[in-house]
Amino acid sequence: MQEVIERALLTSKKLGATYADVRLIERVTEDISVSNGEVKGIKKRLAKGFGVRVIVDGAWGFFSSYRVEPEEGAHVAEVAVSIARASAKTKIEDARLAPIEVYEDRVPQPVKVDPFSVPLNKKIDFLLSLDKLMEKPGIIVRSSSMHFSREWKTFASLEGAFIEQERIVSGGGIQAIATDGREIQVRSYPASFGGDYARKGYEFIEEMKLEENAERVSNEALMLLKAKPAPTGRMDLVIGPYQMALQIHESVGHPTELDRVLGEEASFAGTSFLTPEKLHNFQFGSKYVNIVADATVDYALGGFAYDDEGVKAKKVYLVKEGVFTGYLNSRETAQRLGLEPMGAMRADGWNRQPIIRMTSINLEPGNMTLDELVQGIDNGLLIDVNKSWSIDQKRLNFQFGTEFGYEIKNGKIQDMVKNPSYSGITYEFWRSCDGVGNESYYHILGLPNCGKGEPQQVMEVSHGSSYARFRNVTVGVKNE
Amino acid sequence: MNKERILQILDYVVKHTKADGVEALLMGGESYLTGFANNYIHRNAGEENYELHIRVVLGKKVGATSTSDLSDEAIDAAIENAINIAKLQKENKDFVSLPKNYPGETEFEFVSDIPDADTRADFVKLLLAASKKYGFVSSGKFETELFKVAVKNSLGVERYMERSTSTLKNIVLTDTSSGFSQDSKANYRDINVENILEESLEIARMGQNPVSIEPGKYEVILTPYAVEEFLSSMKYLSLSAKNIEEGTSFMKGHFGEKLFPETITLFDDGTASETLKMPFDFEGVPKKKVYFIENGVVKDVLYDSFYAYKEGKDPTGHSLPQPNELGAYPMNFFVGIGDATVEEMISHVEKGLFVQRFWYTNPMEPATLLITGMTRDGLFLIENGKITKPVRHMRFTESILNAFKNCLEISNVSKIIYEDGAVTTAPYMRIKEFNFTSRTEF
Repeated sequence: MQEVIERALLTSKKLGATYADVRLIERVTEDISVSNGEVKGIKKRLAKGFGVRVIVDGAWGFFSSYRVEPEEGAHVAEVAVSIARASAKTKIEDARLAPIEVYEDRVPQPVKVDPFSVPLNKKIDFLLSLDKLMEKPGIIVRSSSMHFSREWKTFASLEGAFIEQERIVSGGGIQAIATDGREIQVRSYPASFGGDYARKGYEFIEEMKLEENAERVSNEALMLLKAKPAPTGRMDLVIGPYQMALQIHESVGHPTELDRVLGEEASFAGTSFLTPEKLHNFQFGSKYVNIVADATVDYALGGFAYDDEGVKAKKVYLVKEGVFTGYLNSRETAQRLGLEPMGAMRADGWNRQPIIRMTSINLEPGNMTLDELVQGIDNGLLIDVNKSWSIDQKRLNFQFGTEFGYEIKNGKIQDMVKNPSYSGITYEFWRSCDGVGNESYYHILGLPNCGKGEPQQVMEVSHGSSYARFRNVTVGVKNE
Repeated sequence: MNKERILQILDYVVKHTKADGVEALLMGGESYLTGFANNYIHRNAGEENYELHIRVVLGKKVGATSTSDLSDEAIDAAIENAINIAKLQKENKDFVSLPKNYPGETEFEFVSDIPDADTRADFVKLLLAASKKYGFVSSGKFETELFKVAVKNSLGVERYMERSTSTLKNIVLTDTSSGFSQDSKANYRDINVENILEESLEIARMGQNPVSIEPGKYEVILTPYAVEEFLSSMKYLSLSAKNIEEGTSFMKGHFGEKLFPETITLFDDGTASETLKMPFDFEGVPKKKVYFIENGVVKDVLYDSFYAYKEGKDPTGHSLPQPNELGAYPMNFFVGIGDATVEEMISHVEKGLFVQRFWYTNPMEPATLLITGMTRDGLFLIENGKITKPVRHMRFTESILNAFKNCLEISNVSKIIYEDGAVTTAPYMRIKEFNFTSRTEF
């Protein structure tokens, strides 16, 4: 392994690279899914390979291979250099990297229970028991799943960095789909789209208390069939931590990615309304809005020890007391704006070059209880758990739907309502925030499936939030 | 990796796995992407990557593994893991068998040489030069791949395919607008760079200084790009036997009924000349042409071997690598063409919108296929049969089923759109009363 890395770096240097780095990754995953009393799929996957990223003639090149052999190290470096030389044909100015502290480190990830040490039949039996708990007339699809991964990644650069880090992830969730023959309603726990994920061992599965919530999930899916439709019009919202995770992801995380801001993702993901002149000069939200990018939370899915440029994990403010104060950046984009690299470059495997990704983007807790948030509303909704999402390519106009809602009348929670959705313009929405729940409701939700980039990369990120209250929001779809 | 080595690995797996049934699927190849933004190449990447998938059957127990490490030791470990998983599995009473060996050709090559980094850069330079000439900015990609897939199972299935695909995409940005064009071909030399330049530059130029209009119901002309994105959710929510079983498909209970106008025909055909061919699926089953909707009538859905044998049918050749959560999937989806020219369609609109592209579409209600999403890279007002002015982008919230019912005209031309390994061949569609529900600031 060491020899592959050395051959790749030496060859890059010999062929004219002014910068080169190598990432060698071995990753094992295990996925188990159960549906309607049957094990639908169990799959173990091994992914192993390495990628070499170079700057030659001031331009970038990247190549990667599944063959982890010393001679392949040299070959991959040669191809990466030839690709970089082709890139240089269109160069406008040299790629430059902001300086960083160079580390040599080895970072294992301690867990209480190694998820790969837990027998497969124990995991299957547990999922089947959850499935059984969700079984009720009217529930047409019961599904439950678990995901585990262990990754060992070595990063080395011509600058002298040599960092090994381990990453162990556990995740899972349950879902019930109900129908009365006319419509479909869904409830999930802890969250939709696969549940919750964290950098923890099997203990995380136990912490989620899936069995204590399985029957409730089915009951609520059935209740939604009989619930009245959510109202439409302008009203106040209290949004729960699981939907807030999506709200933060789409309307704070993505628009603060500096590669988007600088046009580098215009071909696919889009650009951003948070253009550089707005940094420190733009009222993004109300004074209650404090949002951090924090890769240092030791269990959060969006955390790590070092990013894929060897930058040590940091916590930085993106929004402080409502003012837009920071970007997610890379060494190259930081250099362009004269900023300090904050460590957000990550690749989703050995065969992808790193791009700017969210870490753990968290809305810091406020000081209100849920009762206090609700008591301040005459007419509104309490909503949670994402069901649908869409936002424009500059991250301004959004529309989200949630699995369920409860009416709030005169400061009290009333009936359950179905198919709630809400929409707005990002900064108007965040400016309407007039209260954030306290730490006791705060939860960091792990999202394993953030898509970005060409070729597309799927990244593990996370979002912490408590309940939050927003005033005078457009609820429902007009012109229906 | 060459064909001989690929087939040798599959042979080894099938011969050395001691089980009631075994399937080996090896897929991968070389792929390269030259990405550009701000009028220069900012990302230029390549990979050689293969993944071996092994599915083992012990009675009615199934275990699966995959590995990208193709050393002898790693393959042996993957076989052993798959057997151990199968042993620990519960019996699945609905599982009948791996796919039988259906007759048909077994080897396919749809291959041209793939362009090297210099050739890709030269193509990109043409796009950048044109944008610079007008003071605009280009972003996009030139992506090329040589994809190899081979399947062998213990029931005699053995199939192999190589396919090359290249995609050139250009998004032209001005201060107040953007224009999009994309083309995918098996042979990169068949990509018409002039057409891409003309379309992306023209849409960007025409789109400058857009006006804001009130959201509401408008007649629309959707380009093939917009049609592809609008219908994308339907492909995983409605068109497979799994979707019928799980109740997400609008087709459930309506087979044989005429739900839509005569003009609406939807099908999947992996062997047609107007697609990027994929003649068999990831279980090695030859692809059948399957009509979902024919002249407005609900016809059929896709079956992988699991759902087919469970229902006593033959698979249609649309399985993804097993196991998967999606069920069978239309990898070569077609919206049937009509008989109108695009110019005629525009001339028939008294007041409406020309939509170049949709973006970030997502289903709000699966059963009715109520979709929301944004317009992107070109939205124009049509008045009295002519495109008159650019419009700021808007959000739509509309049901695919309603849109089909409200379809007035379909073009006599279509375009191949290749996204994430799947192909849609789509025409322009003219649809009345398409519901736009809010607007954005650009």
